[in-house]
Amino acid sequence: MADDVRSLTAALARDPASLAYADLAEALRRRGQRHEALQVTLQGLVRHPMHADGHDCLARIYADLGDLERARLAWSKALEIAPDHLGSLRGVAFLLFRQGDLAAAEAALRKLLARAPGDEGARRALEVVRAGGAPAAAAPAGAPAAGPGRRVTEPRLLSARRPEVFHGFDGATNDILLLDQRGLVLAGGLTDAEGHDASELAAAALAGVSGEAVRTAEYLGLDAWSAIVAEAEQANLVVAPVGDGALLLVRRDRSMAVGLALRFAERARGIALAWLQGQGA
Amino acid sequence: MSAPHRGQPATGATGAPPARSAAGASTTDQLQRALDRISRVRGVRGSMWVAAEDGIPVAQLLMEGVKGKAVAALAASLARKVSGAAAATGAGRVRFVQMEAAGGTLLVAPAAQDLLIVALADSRVNIGLVRLEMIRAAEAALA
Repeated sequence: MADDVRSLTAALARDPASLAYADLAEALRRRGQRHEALQVTLQGLVRHPMHADGHDCLARIYADLGDLERARLAWSKALEIAPDHLGSLRGVAFLLFRQGDLAAAEAALRKLLARAPGDEGARRALEVVRAGGAPAAAAPAGAPAAGPGRRVTEPRLLSARRPEVFHGFDGATNDILLLDQRGLVLAGGLTDAEGHDASELAAAALAGVSGEAVRTAEYLGLDAWSAIVAEAEQANLVVAPVGDGALLLVRRDRSMAVGLALRFAERARGIALAWLQGQGA
Repeated sequence: MSAPHRGQPATGATGAPPARSAAGASTTDQLQRALDRISRVRGVRGSMWVAAEDGIPVAQLLMEGVKGKAVAALAASLARKVSGAAAATGAGRVRFVQMEAAGGTLLVAPAAQDLLIVALADSRVNIGLVRLEMIRAAEAALA
């Protein structure tokens, strides 16, 4: 990655009018250097205002920074220039999903799938939206940076660096996910059947579950909820609140007894709680 | 309809007149029998069949004080959210959901014809037994 940045920087220095600025910005963004990435992109777009990839890159950076309104505007601009730009179609769809506009998200996902029928992340997102969706509240503009791995775009792309909170647990980075109440990933990770990162999509969906559980427990006079267990065809899921507003998901194979899955989740919850307290959360 | 283990149940089926199966038992009879079995498990405060799409009770057997309409609406909504999350996590179609809380447990099992079977229980209930009865009812009823 460092070599990429070096070579792209050199290429851009040799030819400042090159479109390599977008690749450099993307490389910086993936390293978590979002402000540097933003500078490079804005400078590049001054030279190339009609470069759809540049606007797409700009939108991703804004999304990483939690500025979803600017992200939306940048993706809209990219789509004005290139209506079939897949990255921007994907970005808009997941942004709408994240913001809770399910009807618009479904339309955007259909449009994306019409152009990219093999997009597994989009297909899965469409299933979620059709099932009633469970979007998290939009992150407010100017919210704290979401971390290098937290993007609202392209759930297929694996997030690079998340805290290794569950180190030593079976499935620490692909079956255990810790998220906040807005549906943003805090630690752990979740992969789909193809090994692609599904953490962002799952986190957005789970934030809705948490709110529903709180409401249900309150209305029915059940006091605080402690866990939701979902037995499904492919896996069992345990969802549990952690501390003040965080949420833990543990996915276990169907072969593991539900009781064992619950015990496993309880151990993971203890680790997550200790970690959150260590973060001052 | 016989009463659950304690308290006086408020019972009833709602909706259209009962259809009759080839064996002669009405659909409503089948639904109510399933609820009766579930509600006999110690700790169950009520059970009901709910239309998954709109969260409206179809048949119910509840103890006094249990708010049937609220339970139905909330259970359907929770099931929908959990199904969405399960799809997002690649877990597939949900067969059973339990929400545990300090003051009780809500259990939901999707069944045929877009119905859910729902049970509300106190925190000391034998979840394994209720789960068994609910899954059996979900698989058998309306088959």
